[in-house]
Amino acid sequence: MFIPNTQIKSSINLLDFIQERASIGTWEYDPISKNLNWSNETKKIHELPLDYIPDLQQGISFYKEGYSRNTITQLFTLCIESHIDFDTEVLIVTPKKKDKWVRVIGIAIIENDKCILVQGLFQDIDKKTKNAKELAFKEQQLRKTFETALIGMAIVDLEGNWIDVNNSLCNILGYNKVEIKKLTFMDLTHPEDLRRDHQALMRMIKGELDDYEIEKRYISKNGETVWAQLSVSIVKDNLGQPEHFVAQINNVTQIKKNRKKVSQLLETTKNQNKRLLNFAHIVSHNLRSHYGNLDMLLDIVKIDLPETTNNEIFPLVELAVSHLGETLTNLNEVAAINVQKDLKTEPLNLLNSFQGALSSISALIRESKTTVSIDIDTDLFILGVPAYLDSIILNFLTNAIKYKKATEPAKIEIKTNISNDFVVLEIKDHGQGIDLKKYGDKLFGMYKTFHRHEDSRGLGLFITKNQIEAIGGKVEVSSIVNEGTTFFISLKKYA
Amino acid sequence: MRKIDLACIIDDDPIFIFGAKRMMELSGFCNSFIVFKNGEDAINNLKPMMNTRQPLPDIILLDINMPIMDGWQFLDEFIQIDSHKEITIYIASSSIDPIDLKRAERYENVSNYIIKPISLNTLKRILGGSL
Repeated sequence: MFIPNTQIKSSINLLDFIQERASIGTWEYDPISKNLNWSNETKKIHELPLDYIPDLQQGISFYKEGYSRNTITQLFTLCIESHIDFDTEVLIVTPKKKDKWVRVIGIAIIENDKCILVQGLFQDIDKKTKNAKELAFKEQQLRKTFETALIGMAIVDLEGNWIDVNNSLCNILGYNKVEIKKLTFMDLTHPEDLRRDHQALMRMIKGELDDYEIEKRYISKNGETVWAQLSVSIVKDNLGQPEHFVAQINNVTQIKKNRKKVSQLLETTKNQNKRLLNFAHIVSHNLRSHYGNLDMLLDIVKIDLPETTNNEIFPLVELAVSHLGETLTNLNEVAAINVQKDLKTEPLNLLNSFQGALSSISALIRESKTTVSIDIDTDLFILGVPAYLDSIILNFLTNAIKYKKATEPAKIEIKTNISNDFVVLEIKDHGQGIDLKKYGDKLFGMYKTFHRHEDSRGLGLFITKNQIEAIGGKVEVSSIVNEGTTFFISLKKYA
Repeated sequence: MRKIDLACIIDDDPIFIFGAKRMMELSGFCNSFIVFKNGEDAINNLKPMMNTRQPLPDIILLDINMPIMDGWQFLDEFIQIDSHKEITIYIASSSIDPIDLKRAERYENVSNYIIKPISLNTLKRILGGSL
């Protein structure tokens, strides 16, 4: 057949063009001469130079060892010997040791029942295959996530039928997948919660809502109520048309039960608190009346039977009774502070309160030659209860005087800092100081409270700390033995 | 110095009554006294006395916590009765609960709140008008 030169040339060019654009190369093998021919594109796909001359053995060796090489060898042999065409997808390894997916097609040309030529195509399908495989992997991952999630998950169509449910959801509701798919979510929802659920779904379909979250009840297969936290979102197509719902269902039955337990505990605690309050009343009243009687009777004995008091025992009885009275007073104060939780606080001028406290102990200050320096803004107000603030200030001042160094009069410095919403009141003495390592834990504790001791600091500070906390403040201390103690009292600032 | 003829003790505690009486005697606080063991007992006896213009106590020492009718209930009833004589009422209680102290302040007729125990000194201060 005569083909004009130009036409041959142009058709070859066209073939090249097609091969290149489609990433499809051609190949030919002559089983008689054992000649193997590759088109340029085939060489390019192999990432080999265009002047490369292939032979069969080498050609086969480009296929990845194992599955790919075995497959191609088998198919190629079958093609020549049994004239079976093939079309397969396998991996080759480029000279740069890169794996590449290719599609290989082989067709046997038969003459006289003999294969005289194998013609084939060789296509680079690397990108496509890898994308597909990646997609498949991702799909699988998603599926695994869905399946193994501890939270119940479901895809529900717009009519409420389950498209897919995961194992957790089956476990929560007690049905297997086959059973559950025969039911709609409406069948499984507690009748009282159906309306609310349904309304929300309708609003999502109408586009008024993108997602919603409710706490609702399902009825499990064995008829039990299952409390669940349900989160639903709607999935829409590219045009914004609703496709289906994605639901997450978390079993909160146990949490509900625990919550109930907690509220029961709270109730118990409230009752116990009430009983404690009653106890405080009993202490403050009943015990006090007995103490009162004892004290009164002792007074009468002193007047009526003076001869019975003139001994070692009577003064001790008197002392014991008076200690009993003090203990009861202290107990009562502690109880009173702890009982009054919703105290009414009011703005109090800090400087005025200090001046009031100082004037009430002016005699003590004069006698002890105490010097007090106060650096407080005249317009600084804190929120507190007047009686508490007075008692707090007095306690710190008298403590500072009581625990002065034996050798010199007390020196007290008072200043304030502002820290956020708090006024930090600093009361520094230059007294004996406290070994905080030894006594730090006990300083504000009730430890010494009921042990009568010369220094009654234990109870004083305990009550003071309670009073500070009752008005929303806190107290901290730093101290060095023989240098002095500084108390930092944070009180709520009045804005 | 005030002169007290008749003093009244309303209290359910026999020891307190014994002590208060003895202290009153010792201090020459009053010439005589009457004792009621709870608020109801007091109202039931005082009411006819007031209505029939019998001699009434000059002062009343009133306990709060009592059975049958407590001190508050007594006060509520007592202030309803017209009296031909001014009677000074002192609450004498062992309660140091601020709520009780506040509550006592609300009664005009209550002169003061005495926290038990009472002592000779307390009685002297009542006589001296400083309580």
